[in-house]
Amino acid sequence: MPNPTKLTVSHAPFLHDGSEISNKQYNIIAATLLAVIAGLLQYGIPALGVLTLSVGSAMAWELLMNLLTRRPVSIGDGNAALIGLLFAMLLPAVVPWWLVVTGTFVAVVIGKQIYGGIGGNPFNPVVVAYAILMISWPMFLDFNAALVDYQFDFTAGFPLVLYKAYGTAGLESFSPGGLLLGQQAGGIGATFGLGLIIGGIYLILRGFIRWEIAVSFLAGIFITALCFNLYNPEVYAGPVFHILTGYALIGAFFLAPEDSSSPVHFTPMLIYGLLGGFLTVLIRNLGAHVDGVIYAILIINLVHPIIDKIRPKAMRRVMHHA
Amino acid sequence: MAKTIGQEFVKGLWEEIPPFRLVLGLCPTLAVTKSVENGIGMGLATTFVLVCANLLVSILSGIIPSKIRIACFIIIIATFVTVVELMMQAYAYQLFQNLGIFIPLIVVNCIVLGRAEAFASKNRVIPSLADGLGIGVGFTLSLTAISAVRECLGNGTLLGYSVFGPAFEPFSFMVEAPGAFICLGLLLCIMNIIGQK
Amino acid sequence: MREMVKMVIVLTVLSSLSGGLLAALKNNTQDRIDSQVLTFVKGPAIENILEGATNDPVNDRFSLKVEGEEEERNFFVGVYDGTPRAVAFETRASGYGGDMGVMVAFNVETGEIMGVSVTTHNETPGVGATVETNTDFKNQFAGLPADAEPNVKKDGGSINAMSGATITSRAVCKAVSRATDLYQQLQSQIKDQVKTFTG
Repeated sequence: MPNPTKLTVSHAPFLHDGSEISNKQYNIIAATLLAVIAGLLQYGIPALGVLTLSVGSAMAWELLMNLLTRRPVSIGDGNAALIGLLFAMLLPAVVPWWLVVTGTFVAVVIGKQIYGGIGGNPFNPVVVAYAILMISWPMFLDFNAALVDYQFDFTAGFPLVLYKAYGTAGLESFSPGGLLLGQQAGGIGATFGLGLIIGGIYLILRGFIRWEIAVSFLAGIFITALCFNLYNPEVYAGPVFHILTGYALIGAFFLAPEDSSSPVHFTPMLIYGLLGGFLTVLIRNLGAHVDGVIYAILIINLVHPIIDKIRPKAMRRVMHHA
Repeated sequence: MAKTIGQEFVKGLWEEIPPFRLVLGLCPTLAVTKSVENGIGMGLATTFVLVCANLLVSILSGIIPSKIRIACFIIIIATFVTVVELMMQAYAYQLFQNLGIFIPLIVVNCIVLGRAEAFASKNRVIPSLADGLGIGVGFTLSLTAISAVRECLGNGTLLGYSVFGPAFEPFSFMVEAPGAFICLGLLLCIMNIIGQK
Repeated sequence: MREMVKMVIVLTVLSSLSGGLLAALKNNTQDRIDSQVLTFVKGPAIENILEGATNDPVNDRFSLKVEGEEEERNFFVGVYDGTPRAVAFETRASGYGGDMGVMVAFNVETGEIMGVSVTTHNETPGVGATVETNTDFKNQFAGLPADAEPNVKKDGGSINAMSGATITSRAVCKAVSRATDLYQQLQSQIKDQVKTFTG
């Protein structure tokens, strides 16, 4: 029994904006809507199927784990639904049903519940799930193969694959404006850049995600890509391309700033974001994988407890042991 | 200490089953359990070394000076490990190919040295034999369990036979190293849930 | 002092017993192990690419010293219709899961690659490991000239990489390139040696 006269101080983070967990989750879900709707319009019924299955199965896994571990049922807080939604946004519109269900199992059970539920996960559950699926079934997550049945009025290729295969020569048909409006193949909710940006700005203004992480993540991508581009513009694409393709925007606004896997102090947040962006471009330009966002976020999740130790110095003379 | 020989044997199967209860010997557990065949092979090789080392250590425990006992145990264990390695190369080469470096590494498997130090050097020959056999069989069973889960999910087969039919797309994450950790963790979790009751 | 002596004696006796036992065992199993290595590691790969040879290529072998390498390399000879026409040897390159060995066979008369087969590898099961069975991929190498430097399409070459396993495909290409280099370097010696195997 806690002693009522004793002041119990929980450990950091102390950041609290007065809202409840569910309030935040529903607001993030609302922020994704623009991008999701754009994706649904582009990919139609199969995308809707993937989306509903993903959200539904994520909530079902959450309920199952609640019952198994005999804890209060927590599907009402919207976190499981958000995990399902974000996971579906990363997927191509045409994927087998079992892949979606396995993905949400990994995200909810292995990514989150095993660590004690919401707030305890060291990694972003969605990113863990997607990384594991990328290792296991790369062929089903290949956007060009999965979307082969679609007819688009723009170049129907996943820009990063073309970039990897042909260098900047493969990118002539992509314009920044087109990319911003979602004229590229990609995840259901990851292509409509404008929608993601609007959603992200909404979340920043309402204080649901910290601007430091999102902005520094994009800045990291921008600066690193710019360096590569200046070094050899023939081979390496420009920074705008890197920001508008793949999972860069969804990563910056929805994946990297996830609560329990990102830092809470100002300088660490900047380092966290910059490092993420830097690694993303590094993997894209030099690595074997097509998109670096997923692995970059996993790595920064891993180092966040360490960089979060960087704190402001005390404003007075500090005694050092002689 | 007043356990019967039967009890010494049985404790290795549940009460002190490695690597679930004694969380020892994780290196081979994680590395070789990609297929059931490898798991059983590794388990049997370790069992052989455990039994022989326990036997010899308990016989020689009166002669070995306590200051150099660890060195002597290691010589005994290393000898038997090399015997296993050579025999496996000569008669089960494909298994040797699969297990590779992990056969010589049985030498540094904490279970073997642990049993020699903690049990065989303090007990008589027959209980030491029972203990070595029990722990060895327990280790084999755990490796088989882990590798069955991993092979089943990661490759869609069990002992090389297809389980789910050709339509199954293998969850190859499970046969990768991180899959081994997650699989071991989940099995440990299940063991603890059962053990609590 | 007595304890000291005892320690020395115990350790010495134990070590020499162990050493003796192992030396005896090693001597007795050496031949068997050698033949096991040839049958299980190189054998299947050689039989695979020298299909139809009338001799046993695993037995009909010679070894040559390659410049800059300490150990001699084995070359396996395939006899077709009574004439020794093919030679196979192994080269290595590093794949996704470390070193992989690739057996490459050359037609000594035309200088063309006859076939390619993987001996040892540590690739991801289900992805890179399909190189063992993926004949469509490996058949692309057959018929290439001995001065070829095969490359996957992504790197500007002509080989279709296995889907999802570019790194493994690259490693095979690399190993084949090394084999062609080696073949050109040792061509005359190989031809001399091969002639001595007349079925």
